[in-house]
Amino acid sequence: MLSLDQVSVTFNAGTPNEVRALRDISLLVEDGEFVTVIGSNGAGKSTLFNVISGAVQPDSGRITLDQEDITYQPEYRRSHDIGRVFQDPRLGTCPGLTIRENLSLAAIHGRNAGFRRDVKMAQETWFFEQLERQHLGLERRLDADVALLSGGQRQAITLVMATLTKPKLLLLDEHTAALDPNAAEQVIALTQELAEANDLCVVMITHSMQQACDLGDRVIMMNRGRIEFEIAGEERKNLQPADLIDRFHSLADGTELTDAQLLG
Amino acid sequence: MTATAAATTQPQASGLSANRRFILRGILLALVVAGFMSVGNVNIGAIGQGLGYALAGVTVFMTFRVLGFVDLTVDGAFPIGGAACAILIVNGHSPEYAMLMGFVAGALTGMATALIDIIFKIEGLLASIIVITAAYTVTLHVMEGKSNIPLLGQETLISRHSKAFRTWLVEQFGDQMRRQSTNLLEIILFGFIVLIVLGILYWFLRTEIGLAIRATGKNPQMVRATGLNHNLMIVIGLMVANGLAGVAGSLVVQQFGFADVSLGFGLIVRGLAAVIIGEVLLRPRTVGQLLIAAVTGMLVFDISRAWIFSALDLPTTDIQFVSALVVLAALGTPRLYDRWKAYRLRHGG
Repeated sequence: MLSLDQVSVTFNAGTPNEVRALRDISLLVEDGEFVTVIGSNGAGKSTLFNVISGAVQPDSGRITLDQEDITYQPEYRRSHDIGRVFQDPRLGTCPGLTIRENLSLAAIHGRNAGFRRDVKMAQETWFFEQLERQHLGLERRLDADVALLSGGQRQAITLVMATLTKPKLLLLDEHTAALDPNAAEQVIALTQELAEANDLCVVMITHSMQQACDLGDRVIMMNRGRIEFEIAGEERKNLQPADLIDRFHSLADGTELTDAQLLG
Repeated sequence: MTATAAATTQPQASGLSANRRFILRGILLALVVAGFMSVGNVNIGAIGQGLGYALAGVTVFMTFRVLGFVDLTVDGAFPIGGAACAILIVNGHSPEYAMLMGFVAGALTGMATALIDIIFKIEGLLASIIVITAAYTVTLHVMEGKSNIPLLGQETLISRHSKAFRTWLVEQFGDQMRRQSTNLLEIILFGFIVLIVLGILYWFLRTEIGLAIRATGKNPQMVRATGLNHNLMIVIGLMVANGLAGVAGSLVVQQFGFADVSLGFGLIVRGLAAVIIGEVLLRPRTVGQLLIAAVTGMLVFDISRAWIFSALDLPTTDIQFVSALVVLAALGTPRLYDRWKAYRLRHGG
């Protein structure tokens, strides 16, 4: 269970460029729950992720993961329990290393590296089964350099790596935005499958209203550092992308530029 | 299960042929170099010298290629390691213990660079320049205020065996081998030590920590997201790398018969040249191949420099200029070749 209690983040505090990226955000994500986060650029979605993963420190507030206070834990330490997939497919895997080595690295997730052999024979079948489930044929290319794979393939491997050791929380930051529609569809299917199979607590940022409606149990709309509204339960089940876009527009009236306006 | 077996055997088969190509390239290179040496009348002392410096090439490989860290510390770690080794030998310690301390001295120098980089967020290039500057004074202090320590008459790795080896060599192959006996002994002893160190390093780079260090150089963000302390990996990596420079310093000091505060001058350039020469000539792929390539590069560097010296009959005062020329050739040739290829493509040659 992830809980944020009145978390605030301010960049460039005390200067004319002050940005209040997060304003008293409180959020509770139960075990096994899948939450999608939408909002225009600059709404604070990425800052929300950065503050949860530890890349950014909050000014105030408290973050707990399974009752453990992680507010000021260093990024690498709390990453023991958090799996992450980034928008850029190049960030999640390591070029110059083989698929097998990348998976081996992910298998260390949650403990400290030691002097054991990096690539273990005992993990062979495990890796094979994990990759076989994606139907991308990557299980036969375990010794291929990750740099040779396509963005979609790399993102699929990143997903498998992020869930390999069953973390408590999975953070997905627009992880299909850089992929072609076909690859995006495959990665989304894999996301759904992995989340259900591992009963994970998932938070996913997306710009696709369709994804926000199709995936997960709850939609959160962020605007100017606040959670503007949440849609859950019965309303969420009947939610259509068009409804979301309408609510998006009603919010953006006046000061804020929306993505739709920016994209013309 | 059969599918798993197929998946494992197939890449291994292709890996084997890649290994075979690598070995063939190595043999071809050895033949060409041997030919050059006999035609150009190059003394085999160049091989011994290359082996002495070889681990400093591995240092540069570890920092630049594995960690992706622009680190010049080798210029400081090498003389500190040499100085520590020399002073311990002079004070009656065994050469093995002295070399181990040479490793420790080099490793501490590398740690200084890593900590400056991490604590003060000063990037590697600048951090290592700061460390080299300070290391000069530390080296002088290690050598008890003297800028040079002669090892004449002391028990070194080489002097310990030289008499017995010379007697044996003359007995076996006749009196004409007498002149080459020290050179041959150096090649055997240093070759043995370099092989052992490479073996340990190969094992180390393929442990979990080694894997994390390799990943840190390529994608530190991912290493953090995997729950590993990437700063710790930089510290460990730089310590191991510069520890090797300390060992190289210890070997060279015993070879030269003295330690000197300016021994590390220009070493970084030489190490870079070694790494690039090795990569261009052997085109290594795997961790083991890359390590062998770095050592081979250093050997080729020293041999080609010695060849230029004997071919042009130059005085030893010109040594640094010739070094710079060889480095320029190593760095520049691949680029010139690419430009020439692009030119030919444009003009339909």
